[in-house]
Amino acid sequence: MSTVDFLNLLVSAFLLAGVYAVMSVGMTVIYGVMKIVNLAHAGFLMLGAYFVYELFERFHLDPLIGVVLTYPAFYFFGIAIHWLIVRRIPRSDVPTTTSLLLLFGLWLVLQNLGYIIWGNADRSILTSRTFSTIQLGPLIFPTVRLVVFGAAVVSLLALEILLHRTWFGRSVRALMQNSESGQLVGVNVEKTARTAFGLGVAFAGAAGGLLAMMYSFTPDFGGAFLLRAFVIIVLGGLESFGGVAIGALILSLVETFSILVIPSGYQPAISFSLLALGLVILPGGVAGLWNRRQRLT
Amino acid sequence: MTETAKQKEAFFSGAARLAIPSLLLGVLAVFPLAGPGPNAIRLLFVSLMWVSCSVGWNILGGFAGQISFGFAVFYGLGSYAAAISLNAGIPRPLALLIAATVAAFASVLVGIPTLRLRGPYFAIATIGVSEAVRVVMTNLQFTGGASGYRITERGAFNQHLHYYVALILAAIAVGLSVLVRRSKFGLALLSIREDEDAAADLGVNPFLCKLEAHALGAALTGAAGGVYAGYSDFIHPPGVFGFDISVAILLMPTIGGIGTIWGPVIGAVVYGLIHEELIASFPEFHLLLYGLLLILIILFEPGGVEGLFEKLIRFARTRSGSGSHSEA
Amino acid sequence: MAPILKLDRLCKNFAGLAALKDVSFEIEPGGITGLIGPNGAGKTTLLSVVAGSIPASSGAILFQGRDITHLRAHGAVHAGIARTHQVPKPFRTLSVLENVEVGLRFGSRQRARNEETESLKILEWVGIAHLYLMRASALSAGDLKRLELARVLAARPSLLLCDEVCSGLTEFETSAILHLLADIRRAGTTILYVEHNLRAIMAVCDRVIVMNYGQKLTEGTPEAVQNDPAVIEAYIGKPSVA
Repeated sequence: MSTVDFLNLLVSAFLLAGVYAVMSVGMTVIYGVMKIVNLAHAGFLMLGAYFVYELFERFHLDPLIGVVLTYPAFYFFGIAIHWLIVRRIPRSDVPTTTSLLLLFGLWLVLQNLGYIIWGNADRSILTSRTFSTIQLGPLIFPTVRLVVFGAAVVSLLALEILLHRTWFGRSVRALMQNSESGQLVGVNVEKTARTAFGLGVAFAGAAGGLLAMMYSFTPDFGGAFLLRAFVIIVLGGLESFGGVAIGALILSLVETFSILVIPSGYQPAISFSLLALGLVILPGGVAGLWNRRQRLT
Repeated sequence: MTETAKQKEAFFSGAARLAIPSLLLGVLAVFPLAGPGPNAIRLLFVSLMWVSCSVGWNILGGFAGQISFGFAVFYGLGSYAAAISLNAGIPRPLALLIAATVAAFASVLVGIPTLRLRGPYFAIATIGVSEAVRVVMTNLQFTGGASGYRITERGAFNQHLHYYVALILAAIAVGLSVLVRRSKFGLALLSIREDEDAAADLGVNPFLCKLEAHALGAALTGAAGGVYAGYSDFIHPPGVFGFDISVAILLMPTIGGIGTIWGPVIGAVVYGLIHEELIASFPEFHLLLYGLLLILIILFEPGGVEGLFEKLIRFARTRSGSGSHSEA
Repeated sequence: MAPILKLDRLCKNFAGLAALKDVSFEIEPGGITGLIGPNGAGKTTLLSVVAGSIPASSGAILFQGRDITHLRAHGAVHAGIARTHQVPKPFRTLSVLENVEVGLRFGSRQRARNEETESLKILEWVGIAHLYLMRASALSAGDLKRLELARVLAARPSLLLCDEVCSGLTEFETSAILHLLADIRRAGTTILYVEHNLRAIMAVCDRVIVMNYGQKLTEGTPEAVQNDPAVIEAYIGKPSVA
């Protein structure tokens, strides 16, 4: 394989990692603050994709603008869902099966609403960007991937600012480290949880929109990405955002380069294999990573 | 036993508790002979098959509290194992036994890495396993790959035979469920569900118990898959390994009453009947409905249909003025 | 007499933080040994490591002469060590009786002849036999502590690790629990007792070990420890120089 091909693949992997990171960040925020594994994440990804698609089809709105609009729209959607359903889950410091099943039910509802409204035909967002490419030196990339990557980086930077410069960010980081101490120093748990959920859904929706710019989709396209998001979080560490970036990079690198060695039919099994590998070889044993850090007295 | 369980037992006296299921079994056994059409028998057949899966899943999910989203693996592997065995001329009972064994063995392979995980992590890991197996089976040429696998049926199609096989398996499943629930093993599973660490601190070996429960559930599900393979003449990966199968197997006991004996049965029958009726025309509505039901049940009646039933009994008892007090 | 428990330079690290540092001591069989220290001293971590809930980072744990450092929780129980939890962890949807039965049936290798009778006897001993059919989730705080003890006693341990059994209880309940501990000691079980309530410790312990910052500070009789300036300083801090 030539150097150019290799570089092409490498950069592709990086571009993909950006989107993967945006996709996983939503789940991380919700998990970190509320210790809830958001299975409905897949549903929000899907809805985000269709939201941007509809804006494009009906109002000829550039999908990038659609993605930008997704943030506020899905933020409020997330707050509504939180108010309606999620806040009724009893608070816990460890993830519970109650929250798992509840959000799974929500995923079922969202996904099948998607089927009922849009049917199961493949949809795609085709703009002039979709088929054009950009050339940087010897390397050639589809424009859309660069654009999506750019949007992803901007989103993640915005999140960084949010986390380090606002009351919300401070509360989130406090709760993620230690929820009891957080409460003791005056963090408003209810408000932070609600905002975190809204934010998580917002990022999921936006990620869905970004993904829709690159791939065709049907109502169940969230599922494959849900698994990927989870792999990323496992690889990178469930409660850190830097970890999400690392995890996203590892996954995208493996996926991109695996095409060279594995028959394409087995591609989807990559996520799972990485998951299994990550779980088995994590230092300190798997149990140590999943359990709350033992309180020291 | 808790106060409610004792009350329930009192409501259904010892004789009644044996009589009602026996009566049910009798009715089901005689049903095909009463002359209903083949469609009715097919509906019941499908429901009975789901009963075995549902009850099996419940041993791990309901008793031990480990929610698996990956039971389609065992259903599918059981189907294929039975199909291959039947084509090789192996008699049906043995083929089903092989199906159960293959599934149980697979469950150990799956369980060893995944059952070390807690709650939701286990659940998501099982989603991953399910998908990986489906992908592999779709690409595996010797079992037909994506085009599926055909079972060469010997002799004419005898619907009654398949029905009775499904009925016997379902009866075995429920019987096993009762045995487990009342045994020392069952107590271990319950303690693991309630608090795995506290259970270990009292001498229970959580990992081993979970593996065993997983294997038992997988075996029952695999056998059910084998029954299905015997009934249809063709199986393919999306049909038996699909995520929707895992979802169905999880929904049935959860809505019917997770962790109880009859909850999974109720859930399976209801799901099976509705599913078969709606599958042709409105599959999405079916799942949408179940999604909503799941949300409502988790929020308001975690005991499912069975839990509602229990509440009704308590209500009836206090109404009848037998002086019983409501639980604290 | 050979010590029932011997810790040899036991260490436990959590992501770079040393929760236990070279902790060594011995406990003679048949008494109540108190373990005290300010918050963060590592007391509960020590109990968890000895009981096998958390693996040690280095060092050795010898129980009745046998090296049990690498035994996990259920193995440690079968060897004869059992622990209670600072915050009770009942099996919430099971009855009080079933809770105790778990300890009885899984806690030791010997089979009990009649599980229900044996369990009721233990419940009688701790004083909640009348609640045997009640769902564990419905118990009061004091009764939950008793259930915690009942469960662990059902496992018939030779060494009982108690983690703050008196926290959150009234004076009255506390003295009842202390009487119970004395009973347990009389019945032949050795107890290692972590407690914040210093009066409780002084009242019931034969010896006291003091920890601070993950290390053993000192050990001795309750009176000696109470008056040890190093111990006082650990709890209250250095007196300011006038």
